[in-house]
Amino acid sequence: MPDYNKPIPIPDPMTNKPYWDGAKEGKLMLPRCTACNRFHFYPRIVCPTCGSRSIEWTEATGEGYLHTFAVQHRASGGWAEEAPFVTAYIDLREGDRVFTVLRGVDPTKPEDIMKKIGALCRIEFDKASDDVSVPYWRVVG
Amino acid sequence: MPSNPSKSAAIVAAAEADEIGYLSSPKTDMMLGIEAIHNACREAGISTKDIEGIANPGGANSYAEYLGIVPKWVDTTAVGGCSFQIHVAHMLAAVNAGMLDIGVVVNGQAGYSRRNFPRGAAGGGGGDALGPDAQFMAPYGVMGAPSNYSHAMTRHMHQWGSTKEDFAQIAVSTREWAMLNPRAIMHSKDTNPNGGALTVDDVLNSRIISWPLNILDICLVTDHGGAVIIASEAAARSFRTPPVWIAGAGEAIGHATMLEMKDFTATSAAASAGRAYKMAGMGPEDMEMAMIYDSFTITVAITAEMLGLTKRGEGPSLFAGGRTAPGGSFPVNTNGGGLSFNHSGMYGMQLLVEAYRQLSRTAEDGIHGLAGKQTDADSCIVNGTGGSLSATGTLVLTR
Repeated sequence: MPDYNKPIPIPDPMTNKPYWDGAKEGKLMLPRCTACNRFHFYPRIVCPTCGSRSIEWTEATGEGYLHTFAVQHRASGGWAEEAPFVTAYIDLREGDRVFTVLRGVDPTKPEDIMKKIGALCRIEFDKASDDVSVPYWRVVG
Repeated sequence: MPSNPSKSAAIVAAAEADEIGYLSSPKTDMMLGIEAIHNACREAGISTKDIEGIANPGGANSYAEYLGIVPKWVDTTAVGGCSFQIHVAHMLAAVNAGMLDIGVVVNGQAGYSRRNFPRGAAGGGGGDALGPDAQFMAPYGVMGAPSNYSHAMTRHMHQWGSTKEDFAQIAVSTREWAMLNPRAIMHSKDTNPNGGALTVDDVLNSRIISWPLNILDICLVTDHGGAVIIASEAAARSFRTPPVWIAGAGEAIGHATMLEMKDFTATSAAASAGRAYKMAGMGPEDMEMAMIYDSFTITVAITAEMLGLTKRGEGPSLFAGGRTAPGGSFPVNTNGGGLSFNHSGMYGMQLLVEAYRQLSRTAEDGIHGLAGKQTDADSCIVNGTGGSLSATGTLVLTR
């Protein structure tokens, strides 16, 4: 844990507490609208699909599909030591999309990663501090 | 029934700061903006005191105060680099409604000089620590616009079969225009060691920043000040400078953070351009040139598609075979673009200045006596893109 040298987000205790609490327990918690049953991300107090304010936090599968990616060769702080690394957008199984650093791929072979677009990915969590665990995604399919 | 504001106002002057590019001695944002306003007013033959309305992203009030004027109309819309196209749209509507007759859209931006400001004076810009960017994107090491836009380029390559070579052609075409503009950073080896002639291979072999974006797919970071004067139809006809009519204007916001970009190969420019074309009673087939925000080659490709200049997925092909380059049938980014001319951070102002110069036949402005980048286009579509492919403002301008 003390060797986590990447930026640690300061959880927003007003909007996102269940998300970050879930992450600490190794769970992906997502806001779901009880009116239209759609999930959304990032978390809001109103459903971006139907406009309802009936939002409920629900545990998600932690599975998704690689939508697109980039290989970052320039970064600052702890990420500079890691470059090149792969960032990606993941289409959640439940709908909507998250951003992450992608694992299980070779950043020196972007042409090979291109072939993984659409592949199944699974969430995992790094304990960054006593209070915060940061989600990452890994290509498994 | 509201009236169609098409051509109820015109741009009557456009000017830049005294010095732009990599300034040898630094200037502030305000200095650069004020120089540009002053130069535009001088060109138009008016005093800064004649200005009735001011638009600037976030700072219209500061500009008014600095100039010692009390404007009767302001717009501080700040949605990134396309803010200026949207300011023009708003000013057109306000002029049509009789709220003002003469206004200025201005920007000064020390994108380069900023590094030489006294320590701590460069501004925080940290954003909202509890906002979605800070919570859900910043932890993953993204650093600025290139590291975001690259994801859109990857998706374009996946979805439409485009290649890095295809995108590199955009940088090459744009560089050819820069070689005709002595104010462009990349005009020649004399203006910059990396300036002058450029090939597709040069782009592909340049330093990789955020795959698939190489450094030559990415815009410059420079100083710039720019201003355009807008006047009502009646006032415009009394100016000594040629009017360039605002025939159509449209704006749209697709998203704010890239997390919410539903289709990574489409922007709201389809919507904003649709509105601009409709107002103008014109279509893409009527456009004789284009000024397209080129923060990155991918920005240009997607935008060309959204403006209806090519089919979906074929944006890069517009730039093949010299069609958009000097001497080509459809000139694009005739100033040399953000890629090779100047990009101060919010490049929409540079688009406006060049579009005015082309259609008013003053495209050699500032560098008198050099034949080169002036085209014979009578119409121009201008599209700004702001944020992370987030917001767009589109203008149809005519002689």
